[in-house]
Amino acid sequence: MAGAAAKERRVIRVLLVEDEEIHRVRARALLRDAAGGVELGEAGNGAEAVRRVREGGAYDLILTDRQMPVMDGHEATRQIRALGVTTPIVGLSSDSLAADADAFIKAGADDFTPKPLSKEKLNRILAKFNLA
Amino acid sequence: MIMPHTHSLLLVFFGQCFRICEMWRKAADSRVPLVRQMKDMPEPNMDYSNLRRQIISMKKSLFDQGYLDEQFNQLEELQDDSSPNFVEEVVALFFKDSSRLLTNIEQALEKHPQDFYRLDSLAHQFKGSGSSIGALRMKNECSMFKAHCSNRNLEGCRRSLQKMKREHATLKQKLETYFQLLRQVGPRERAVNSWK
Repeated sequence: MAGAAAKERRVIRVLLVEDEEIHRVRARALLRDAAGGVELGEAGNGAEAVRRVREGGAYDLILTDRQMPVMDGHEATRQIRALGVTTPIVGLSSDSLAADADAFIKAGADDFTPKPLSKEKLNRILAKFNLA
Repeated sequence: MIMPHTHSLLLVFFGQCFRICEMWRKAADSRVPLVRQMKDMPEPNMDYSNLRRQIISMKKSLFDQGYLDEQFNQLEELQDDSSPNFVEEVVALFFKDSSRLLTNIEQALEKHPQDFYRLDSLAHQFKGSGSSIGALRMKNECSMFKAHCSNRNLEGCRRSLQKMKREHATLKQKLETYFQLLRQVGPRERAVNSWK
């Protein structure tokens, strides 16, 4: 109704787990104007992501690539879930194979989207997890 | 006495000269106001419009010939006044990454025995990087390469690599030309993304 107050958009904390600079640059630009603003943390591989979360990093959303050195996205997701963290995790991959998506979901991710990340995909993710 | 008559003639002569000069000046000045009106526009105005047309035409051609896809438009949408060179910077990152990956793939193909897992991994990176800028042909050729890796088809991989190198060189040359044209119109026009 007309009397409904405008929904206040809040700053959200996002952890981007991605080893390749080109994808990080694109994601940064996309996230720049998302929600009510984004505090963006970045990890260059799965192991670094797990460390950040273990050391108390509190995030509203974790976006993780699949293929990375040291530790891939599937394993990082498993380990983050093993810490008892319930933050929404969305897997990303350049392949849009069902097997990729399934492996992420089995590891404990909440969703999967093929790369490259786009405004539409990001908006869908933010809406799904009430972060828009 | 001749002097006063000559003096009059000289006066008339110089008067005519002055009038003729004034006429020439006014004729020239008739073009000055137009130039003055254009002083705030890039000169010459006709060339600027032609440049815009060239840019639009070139971009359309890149899409029509399948070199680029919608992801390139998405990239351009992320460019604004705060990051007026964003697209060119991301494309430069792609060519830096992809040149390295092409070299790595070539070296990996020459090893015996071939490590098809590593080759697939390299092609996967290449594909992802290419899709970031909407490099459609490159992305498709990477998919072909990966398919050859899955089938452990060394000859197929080698042929595919040659195609990837050709597509890479062609795309690089075309995008360099595109960005050269964009630089000529200036940062404001690039930033407002007026090239759709």
